Amino acid sequence: MNRHLTEQQLIDYQFKLASEAGMEEARAHLDQCEACRQRLAELNRKFAALDLLRDEVKPSDALIARTVENAARTRRARVLPLLSLPWLGATAAAILVGVAVLVVSNLGPQGQPGGVLAPTASEPKAAPAQRAEERIAPTSERSAAYGGKAGADAFGFKQALAESVVGGPLAAKPEEVAEKPPFAPASAIELVVLPRRENVQLTIYNGADLTLVRERRNLTLKQGWNWLQFMWANTLIDPTSLTLEPLEHKDQVQVQQLVFPPRLRELGRWLIRSETSGQVPFELTYLTSGLSWRAFYMGTLSQDERTMHLEAYVRVSNNSGEDYEDAQTRLIVGRVHLLDQIRALAQRQYPYGSPLSAGTGTLGGMGGYGALRDRNYGLEMRGKVAGELVESLEERKEIRKEGLSEYFLYTIEGTETIPNEWGKRLLSLEADGIPVKALYKYDEERWGTQTIQFVSFANDEEHKLGGTPLPDGTVRVYGRADEQGHLSYVGGTDVKYIPVGEEIELNLGPAHLVEVKPVLMDYRTEHHVFDQNGNINGWDEVRIWKIEVTNTRTLPVEIEITRGFETPYWTLTPPDSAVSYEKHDVTHARYRLTLEPRRKRAFEYTVTTYHGVREQSFPNAGVLDRN
Amino acid sequence: MGSSDESLIAAHLAGDQAAFCELVRRYGDGVLGYLFHMTGNLSQAEDLFQETFKRVHEKAHTFRGGRFKSWLFTIATRAAIDSGRRRRRLRVVSLDQGDDCDEGNSSQVTTLADDNAADPADEMVKEEQKQQVRRAIEALPAKQRATLILAYYQQLSYQEVAQVMGCSIGTVKTQMSRALAALARRLPDSIGVTK
Repeated sequence: MNRHLTEQQLIDYQFKLASEAGMEEARAHLDQCEACRQRLAELNRKFAALDLLRDEVKPSDALIARTVENAARTRRARVLPLLSLPWLGATAAAILVGVAVLVVSNLGPQGQPGGVLAPTASEPKAAPAQRAEERIAPTSERSAAYGGKAGADAFGFKQALAESVVGGPLAAKPEEVAEKPPFAPASAIELVVLPRRENVQLTIYNGADLTLVRERRNLTLKQGWNWLQFMWANTLIDPTSLTLEPLEHKDQVQVQQLVFPPRLRELGRWLIRSETSGQVPFELTYLTSGLSWRAFYMGTLSQDERTMHLEAYVRVSNNSGEDYEDAQTRLIVGRVHLLDQIRALAQRQYPYGSPLSAGTGTLGGMGGYGALRDRNYGLEMRGKVAGELVESLEERKEIRKEGLSEYFLYTIEGTETIPNEWGKRLLSLEADGIPVKALYKYDEERWGTQTIQFVSFANDEEHKLGGTPLPDGTVRVYGRADEQGHLSYVGGTDVKYIPVGEEIELNLGPAHLVEVKPVLMDYRTEHHVFDQNGNINGWDEVRIWKIEVTNTRTLPVEIEITRGFETPYWTLTPPDSAVSYEKHDVTHARYRLTLEPRRKRAFEYTVTTYHGVREQSFPNAGVLDRN
Repeated sequence: MGSSDESLIAAHLAGDQAAFCELVRRYGDGVLGYLFHMTGNLSQAEDLFQETFKRVHEKAHTFRGGRFKSWLFTIATRAAIDSGRRRRRLRVVSLDQGDDCDEGNSSQVTTLADDNAADPADEMVKEEQKQQVRRAIEALPAKQRATLILAYYQQLSYQEVAQVMGCSIGTVKTQMSRALAALARRLPDSIGVTK
């Protein structure tokens, strides 16, 4: 053969589209023709570009879930097995017999065809139905064996599935369990929804954005090897933290391994070897983020501002993607080594993606924990606006507190249902008549020309507290405005963790009824020192300040005024003896005075500061002069 | 060994929803890829994906054995053809700009923005080639396109493609041959070098 193969012939040969003769002819030519072989290779290189689009798109879990849901919503055409409707078969048979009798009577004694009409007519109808019955029966039996658990598990993992594999090595005969574990198939076999939780316990670590979940589920095992399949799609569960342990029959039930099948995202399978069949309670433990709690305090000052009623609340928020029904909730207070361990857990490289990035479409692009917290905050605020925030104040539950070595554990009495994207507030502490000290502070360097109101007390027995440390939180303070008990908002602030015995000072913001006004009355320099060239290299500055303090409140107030001198070399001429001061630090002095209601008072002081070589002349000037 | 398609269908008919879910997972990649290549539009392909499995759910009782994959792709093909007819009557515009508007550029930008992308220049070239291949396939007549995708990408035998397409094996081979000849003219010479 001398003519070269055409491009079409090469294509047909390569893709086996040619006839047998054409294939043979092309093969023979290619064996001899280098040029055609090169052209074929070139064509193959060209067609290799088609592989660029291979596996280009894959359905997301959300699409699959939506597809299954939509399909399930449509009503499947119902198969009517004729065998289950005997009257229909009987009617058909009667008609056919009637027809046959008619035919036989017409054909007479030679009427052989009439004799076979009835069975052949009924067979095609009955046979497919019968075949369908035969196909369906085993699966029906298997489904029934699981007690119809195919229903939705509202509080399980999202689409959590327990899979029991039958057939092959798993179809173990009673009394014996195959020694070799079965191969974990990439595809599921018989899927049964994981039974709902019997109970669940949440231990929420404040500030670590991690929660330990322990739940109990009763799994129905068969004797032999069992696969338990679970999915954590759309949740913030850390899959590497999952552990599963039987609570009973521990000597007969062993959890052998946890596998993460390739190509199946957010899905894992436990292999369980059981020497018994029936229901076995299991404890499932894992870490999740998205559950958080925060403390809130509401203080109500008495009319004389000498005592305060304090209520402390905890608000638990759930944005983990999972609903927790009737959960025993425990809150961890404190910053101890445990936090570091949890952070290390959260930051380690997960073999199948972290729970945060695993959310891909939902959380992957939101920037991790910080963004999650922001989102939580937004949800909380939306919840508030919509009135969705549940306040369990009608049935006040006690929150039990226990010290656990280096941190503190709050346990909320009873159980709580915390659905996903809900917040729940619970009273954790209430104390009445806490003695407090109200104080007004003036410090230009810290707060400008505003006077700031403070209330202070201590977390100890003397102040009717001290039972537990107080966790970080927001404090809002109200005052009793009148005899009727009407409240007015005084101010609020965030407080850090307050250990037992420590004093708390709450900054309630600017006070408008107590005013401090410093006025510079005189300024001069003196004691100038000159160097050899006649330049000034040392001097003193003398200032006379007048401080006017006004109290327009109906209560006496205590005021603390801090004055700074910007140099450690200063002396202060004491003002009148009624106003005492103390050296607060190397550059500041502090005055304290009490002012009666609706009074104004003024005092003066003279401060001398030393500069240049004069500093060396008075190394302890501040102390010396006062002494 | 995993369960067979037949046993999953039987379980589905017996009311086991998880079995149907498993079928969707098992063939989801192939069906979506097929529909995406057929329509050239991801959101449309996803709609057809749902429609296909909805029909599978409804018509599962009509499956009479044989290869489930062929039966499934027959349904997918019909869903795509029906959709094509509807779309000829009513032009549908997706609100998802990432899919419909300036598709080429958006996918390039997405690729370039990906931190894991090896070399932006290589990625750009690769993306351009993908676009070229995609355009070449989209330019094929519908039957040739379906034949090519089923035979090449879904790796169905010509016999199975004939079942799906409802035609003879000879017709399938002819369609395939013409499709490949057209692609040979339109595809880039080799990967890594653009024309």
